[in-house]
Amino acid sequence: MARTRAIWLVPGALAALPAYHAAYAVQYMSVAEAQKAAFADASEFAPVAVDRAALDGAMTAVPESALGAGWAPQVFAAKKDGATEGWLIVDQVIGKAEAITYALALDARGAVTRLDVLEYRETHGGEIRLPAWRRQFVGKTAADPLRLDADIHNISGATLSCRHVTDGVRRLLSLYAHALKTA
Amino acid sequence: MHRATALVTAVSLALGAAVPAHAEDEALRKELDALRQQVAELQAEVQEMRTAKATPVATAQPAAAPLIAPAPAATPAPATTVAQASPPPAQRGVGTDSTRLWGYGELNYNHPTGDAGTSQADLRRAVIGFSHAFNEDTHVYGELEWEHAVTSADDQGESEVEQLYVEHQLSPEMAFRAGLTLIPLGFLNEHHEPTHYYGVERNFVETAIIPSTWREGGLSLLGTTEGGFSWNVGLTTSQNLRNWDPADPEGRLSPLGAIHQELQLASARDVAIYGAANWQGVPGLTLGGGVFNGNIGQGDDGNFLGADSRATLGEVHARWQSGPFDLSALYARGTISDTEKLNLTFIGNPYPVPKSFWGSYVQGAWRVWDSGESSLAPFVRYEAFNTASSFEPVPLGLGVPDADTERVWTVGVNYYLTPEVVFKADYQHFNITDELLGYGTRLDLGVGYQF
Repeated sequence: MARTRAIWLVPGALAALPAYHAAYAVQYMSVAEAQKAAFADASEFAPVAVDRAALDGAMTAVPESALGAGWAPQVFAAKKDGATEGWLIVDQVIGKAEAITYALALDARGAVTRLDVLEYRETHGGEIRLPAWRRQFVGKTAADPLRLDADIHNISGATLSCRHVTDGVRRLLSLYAHALKTA
Repeated sequence: MHRATALVTAVSLALGAAVPAHAEDEALRKELDALRQQVAELQAEVQEMRTAKATPVATAQPAAAPLIAPAPAATPAPATTVAQASPPPAQRGVGTDSTRLWGYGELNYNHPTGDAGTSQADLRRAVIGFSHAFNEDTHVYGELEWEHAVTSADDQGESEVEQLYVEHQLSPEMAFRAGLTLIPLGFLNEHHEPTHYYGVERNFVETAIIPSTWREGGLSLLGTTEGGFSWNVGLTTSQNLRNWDPADPEGRLSPLGAIHQELQLASARDVAIYGAANWQGVPGLTLGGGVFNGNIGQGDDGNFLGADSRATLGEVHARWQSGPFDLSALYARGTISDTEKLNLTFIGNPYPVPKSFWGSYVQGAWRVWDSGESSLAPFVRYEAFNTASSFEPVPLGLGVPDADTERVWTVGVNYYLTPEVVFKADYQHFNITDELLGYGTRLDLGVGYQF
């Protein structure tokens, strides 16, 4: 019975944990860090305002996981010596119930070079931050299917987050095709 | 913010001083390039702070004029196909609300082929879930469930709180939970929404051996690693062996389910610990397992003969999802120790406490068709399980025989109208009459949703 009694020390220890932890947010990466990670030698990240019609066009093309009329991804043109090296798009999708903020980097031809999860607010599904999962998107373009369980593998237990991020990337690639491609 | 303000000041000063001072083009260009980069970095930083401050939604912030004014002026005009000065897009609800609702439900029909008279249709469960964020790091998460449509003194329905816990993020990789949480064993227990499993009914192994939906009150610590490991350990309430009724078949249907407490005025003299881990380092693959172990005698008052009993349940599982294929397998085994004396008092009853119980299944599904959001996935599952595979020896042959191993084939189809709405049909073949159902082979139909 002594063993059982001693076990109550564990909750005390666990309860003490929050007391000394630093004030972390669930922000895993900042926008500036994502920009640096994706385009190490870019000298400038120019914000690009995308017009409503282009957003609506991309939304219509990829209606899954609809975000509604206010969908407003943040687009930056990564430039070096005035030439556009590629694009960094910061967007949000709903995971199970709360928003996931992620950054998608595209090269000048519109192929994915990097996907980073910037902020994750859920109690479930955080496995989408796994590097191995995110690497699946590298090289994808608007011509790829970008469907969960087709060309993108699922993470069992994080299906909703996986599906919604996959849909989100597909929509951003459609946005690229609608608004950024001819740039 | 201080750092940003200081940087802005520095940049403004630098701009003021630098621009008129250099006449030579080359030097000026270099200087401008450097400044441009600084301003761009600053811009991103400021934008980010605003986004974080005003709302968690990341939107283009055209109102950032005073701070970023030099940038557009010094920047070549962006692509012609994009409007530079479009009005701010309407803010939408994503992430702006701190409280969210979600839910799932399922309605099932069972038709025993040999005994159509016992066919049954049931609103199996309707569930409302909620989460609320107190701040970025602290959430409460709850799941409220109604089973069998109607709950009252004269009806058989149940109304229950299935999960209710506070979660606090300790670091980007680790969180802490306190409250009523699901024990993270197997595939189903934590992810029991009808869209997540094949077949109308949850599989037998993960209801009889791992008693889904199995929850306990307590504390847990969980996290993920970059290499693909996710882990979850906890200290919780455990079962109460004092609730074992040797005359009630419930103990034969699910030994741990029969003595669960579900945090309903739970006896908490004895506690349990658990640990579970999954590795998902290769996309599509899941390898995992876990163990739960706890004293279940709930105190030694000198009268109860099972005071030292301990329940242990371990499981391992694997899943491979690739393209249209979804293959999984699971093995679970449980024991209840020190039941010898208690079972002596149960002599003459049909359902003494088993010493061991186990179950396993293999399942394969194949998405043969999909169009837009809809898809069709036939599946087949083979299960074998035994809820009383051994007992502690009882003198003079007064014990009961070990239970027969039940083997079930399930063949069926999940039709997803959308990924979150599923229609199901299956056929189940049993090698023996199922103790719970009281019959064998049956046809099942169901509809389920999740939002």
